[in-house]
Amino acid sequence: MTAEGRRSCWQFRLVLFTLPFLFLLFALVVFLPPDGNERAEWAQFIGRFHPLAVHFPIALILLVPILELAGRNNRFSYLRLSVGFVLGLAALTATLAAILGWCLARSGGYSGTLLTQHMWGGSSLAAVCWLCWLLYARAGERGGRLGILYGFALAAGVALVAWTGYRGGQLSLGEDHLTEYMPAGLRRALRVSNVRSASSNPSANTFYGARIDPIFSARCVTCHGPSQHKANLRLDSYRSLMRGGKDGPVVRAGNVQGSDLFRRITLPPGHDDFMPKENKRPLSPDQVKLIELWIAAGASDTLALNALQGAPSASASSPVAEVSFEEIDPAGVTRLRATVASAVIELQKQFPNILEYESRGSADLYLNASLLGPKFGDSNLEAFAPLGEHITIADFSRTAITDRSARSIAAMKRLRVLRLTNTGITDLTMQQLGPLDQLESLNVFGTRVTAAALPAIAKLPKLAHFYVGQTAIPTGISVPKELAGKLVF
Amino acid sequence: MADSKIPAHDLKMALLQAQTRRHFLRTLGGGLGTLFVGTAMAGRASASDTPRSESSSLDFTRDASSPLSELPPQFAGKVRRVIYLHMAGAPSQLELFEYKPDLKRLDGQDCPASFLAGKRFAFISGVPKLLGSQYPYHQVGQTGQWISDRLPHLEQHMDDLCFIKSMHTDQFNHAPAQLLVHTGNARLGYPSLGSWVVYGLGTENQNLPGFIVLLSGGKSPDGGKQLWSSGFLPSVYQGVQCRSHGEPVLYLDNPPGVSRPLRRSMLDAIDQINQQTYATFGNPETVTRIAQYEMGFRMQMDATDAMDIRREPASVLAKYGSKPGESSFANNCVVARRLAERGVRFIQLYHWGWDSHGADAKEALNLGFADRCREVDQPTAALLDDLKERGLLEDTLVVWGGEFGRTPMRENRNGQEMKYVGRDHNPGAFTIWMAGGGVKRGITHGQTDEMGYEIVKDPVEIRDLHATMLYLLGFDHRKLNYSFQGLDQKLTTVRPARVVAEILA
Repeated sequence: MTAEGRRSCWQFRLVLFTLPFLFLLFALVVFLPPDGNERAEWAQFIGRFHPLAVHFPIALILLVPILELAGRNNRFSYLRLSVGFVLGLAALTATLAAILGWCLARSGGYSGTLLTQHMWGGSSLAAVCWLCWLLYARAGERGGRLGILYGFALAAGVALVAWTGYRGGQLSLGEDHLTEYMPAGLRRALRVSNVRSASSNPSANTFYGARIDPIFSARCVTCHGPSQHKANLRLDSYRSLMRGGKDGPVVRAGNVQGSDLFRRITLPPGHDDFMPKENKRPLSPDQVKLIELWIAAGASDTLALNALQGAPSASASSPVAEVSFEEIDPAGVTRLRATVASAVIELQKQFPNILEYESRGSADLYLNASLLGPKFGDSNLEAFAPLGEHITIADFSRTAITDRSARSIAAMKRLRVLRLTNTGITDLTMQQLGPLDQLESLNVFGTRVTAAALPAIAKLPKLAHFYVGQTAIPTGISVPKELAGKLVF
Repeated sequence: MADSKIPAHDLKMALLQAQTRRHFLRTLGGGLGTLFVGTAMAGRASASDTPRSESSSLDFTRDASSPLSELPPQFAGKVRRVIYLHMAGAPSQLELFEYKPDLKRLDGQDCPASFLAGKRFAFISGVPKLLGSQYPYHQVGQTGQWISDRLPHLEQHMDDLCFIKSMHTDQFNHAPAQLLVHTGNARLGYPSLGSWVVYGLGTENQNLPGFIVLLSGGKSPDGGKQLWSSGFLPSVYQGVQCRSHGEPVLYLDNPPGVSRPLRRSMLDAIDQINQQTYATFGNPETVTRIAQYEMGFRMQMDATDAMDIRREPASVLAKYGSKPGESSFANNCVVARRLAERGVRFIQLYHWGWDSHGADAKEALNLGFADRCREVDQPTAALLDDLKERGLLEDTLVVWGGEFGRTPMRENRNGQEMKYVGRDHNPGAFTIWMAGGGVKRGITHGQTDEMGYEIVKDPVEIRDLHATMLYLLGFDHRKLNYSFQGLDQKLTTVRPARVVAEILA
């Protein structure tokens, strides 16, 4: 036996020896297919490496034809020597990547046609890789009939990579991920329909677009939408709504009682199947009524807006805005405060209790000098100059500041609230507040400010309240029109 | 300091020597078991779809020596302080804000049986008669809200008030109902609203307590001091009850012959001993004690000034109808404004005598009730006026209300018509109003039926009110929590609460 023959024989044994991995993959895929239920977190953790791992076999498989083709040229003939090694590696990594993919799908709550196609695409690809490797090991560089078969298998492998990869992209980035941002000209040339605008902006003239879709957008898509698709159900487009979820369609046209979606929104709120879950407010009676009427009328996306008699009016059905609570991201806050943090700590030491962040998630500052009363004066305020543009609320009530601080105050360009109650400031300060274009509330209660300050104050674009009680500004004075209704006496 | 370490060392040695092999094995076995259960349960818990935001909590740890130091809110809230005007005894909404012409029409008729089925009353028995409002109603302000003629001063602020007419509770006796309103729980031992707020935000003015309670004299609320207790929170966060005449806080002034420096050196000595005690036993209550001594010292300067309403000009006192020297709601309203100006976080006023059963003249709707209205009307209006004028209403929340409502039926104690006119307790519906930062002005949220008996639209639970108040102060009510008895305790309890988004400005 030649050296080459020994090598291919040895390679053939290796193929057979490592084949059980492939069998394991098919056993998993066939006997434990993903069913849309979420499972153990460790499996999800491992599964999340699928997108990472999968690019390795992709690159390897695409490398094989390149090696083969380039190897035909004598100058690169040595490349063909590595084909066997690359193929073997591709087969092994493709199988492992597919097993990871199964972990992700099985434990991560995935299901649906797309997933099935991607899964079988990936598994077949792993199998084709083994086949190529096997054929290569048998046929080697001799060619012949086996060589032709090998060529076809390789071509099939490349095609499978493209198809499976596309399906995978659709799974993670959305069905129209390749065409979503395609330039309009190219889109027209290729006759690709604009799925994005069709799905996210349903026509406002249809009953679905104007009355039903807004309910889903407001109340359902957080869990059943682009970011999460629990139970493999998405309600952010008509198409996905009608496709349904892991248990099949949720809306059956014309059959209200047979529509799972309707059943769930009308259960008693404590029921396990009730939607929306997690103690979220149930849909309003008007919203339920709209959905009921729409399903009964055939659940069409072309039904005209005013086709249904007895639909609750639009104003009554406007969903109540629920408050939402922002999550605080500690790293983000640290970044946000990076430029001010050290100055804030320094000043907090120097002036305890009067300087604090406006909130835990913000770098904006609240300066409450009023707590120090007369102990706080013009010279103290100068110490806050480095933070000037971060102070959004400043209270100098009853402090000893005077017009000499006007420049320091005017430098706090982002002030929203400024309180100068019972201080020694006068019109002179008022004249210098021009730069405070964010100021909403200005308080000069109990100061010597006079009506002469009004024209300057009228220029503050965002001012909503100007507290002028117990000043020299008389009640009922005629004010510039910009200040109409804004003075509080 | 060295002295203080010896007992701790001894204690540790004693503990170690007391450990036997059996102790070790027992804790080992139990430990492994709990470890297993812990991990297994943790797996289950995370597999269910509880949103993570509910479980994570904010960090409220502070330097042990300054447990009241200010902490920023979770997000920028619209209000920085609260003035809560509690009308103990539960004022009749039907004589003040709930205009029910149909009830008036049916006045004197037998109450329908459906009103009585399955209901428990404090005193009503047999079949009571329906009772129309004892006072005429009219519409006021640009928003045209209805109000009776009992609150002529307050009605000038009608366009600033935000009414919730669909409050309800599950307690129909005063003490538990007041506890529910102020601690979120009808049983004893839970921290009050003010304690939670000061725990969450600390106090702005370090020379005054962050949570001050003022009583109008007369009867103390049935819930007693528990209404401003700190429950399981460290007791630095409890409300400090101040007197509205004489010394605001008893024994705050130095006794004759004790100078301020002498007091200081005395406190330093006490502090040192307390520090040693804390180093030895690590009991947070010792820190509370140290902090209270220190605050007492600082308060000597500021509290007397803040509480002394004689420093207000006569015109201001006249506006409130306040007479310095007596215990009254009016005086407390003046103090409340002075405290708000000085950065006190939570100011709790209690008025009394609203329990209008009609059993005697003091609690008759046509007699004592009218007096109560007079006592609160002018000062409440003046307080709103002052806060508004000074720009404080922008970031202050004023809340007015009782602990439950009153029935549309006339009380018939022992089934007999009584000499005076009164109403029984109705936990099913009552009215509160709010004014100030972050709430809509001149609106009414929620609605009761034509008799004012049951809620027909937008019911609001006490815990919803709490969640809303915390939201206005800058907190997700689920995140303002304190670990106690194995639970992340919350003001709104474990039951779901909803921020009443409809009333937010």
